[in-house]
Amino acid sequence: MKAFTTNLMYFAISFFLGAVAFRYGLSYSLECKYFDFVWILAIIYFFFNFLIGWHFGKKDYESIPLNDVGFRFHFVTYFLFNSIGILWFLLDLNSYYESLRLVYLIAIFWGIGLIIHFIFYLLERKKSINGLSKEDLFE
Amino acid sequence: MKNSNLLTELLATWEETYKKGQLTLWIFLSLKDGRKYVDEIKSFVEEQSEYTMTCESQSLYRTLRKFKHVGVVDFETGTGNKGPDRKYYFLTELGHDLLENFIQRNINLFFNKRIKDLINKEE
Repeated sequence: MKAFTTNLMYFAISFFLGAVAFRYGLSYSLECKYFDFVWILAIIYFFFNFLIGWHFGKKDYESIPLNDVGFRFHFVTYFLFNSIGILWFLLDLNSYYESLRLVYLIAIFWGIGLIIHFIFYLLERKKSINGLSKEDLFE
Repeated sequence: MKNSNLLTELLATWEETYKKGQLTLWIFLSLKDGRKYVDEIKSFVEEQSEYTMTCESQSLYRTLRKFKHVGVVDFETGTGNKGPDRKYYFLTELGHDLLENFIQRNINLFFNKRIKDLINKEE
């Protein structure tokens, strides 16, 4: 099964750029003590991710309706967000007010959610052939 | 309700249910006939089914993408008529085996002498 589809790749690129921009904006705002701006930034970042997820997820399903309960997009989001978060600290780009411990905690708790999602994905795979729902394949 | 109206309504309802899932067989038959691009598949299905089956090109593309994904259909690009290159679809070996098995198990029953006689028997 081709899991990394073209639309997932476009989503990953958009998400990567968004996450880097968010990280930069966050660290910059905190460093300059523009604490109010952090809220605005977080809201913009939320809507940006919602929109790219909606757009590329819909296009992906229209192209080939893989029965993965959204796990591929979730995994890519988790991987990129947390990798960028950790790398941000390793490259010393973080502000004084950010904590690496918090980044790890997010990765751990989100990781637990991802594992639960993965279990649902495995259960759904039993109802599929090459990722396509058996019910819809010959409809 | 008049009997003729009831008959028409019952027939339409039965046919609607019956046709669900039949498009796959018609697509496979059209590709068994030879490699085709989407408009040719559409024409084949409609003409050979005597217009009892109709299909939209968009829905055919979507179906063919699914079949390609599971490996029963593939395509090669060929030159179009004045326009851009076309995707010519064909059945893979797995696709041929699948169609053959499906026909053996589900279609050949209707060629059984007893069933054929029953179908042709007049009340």
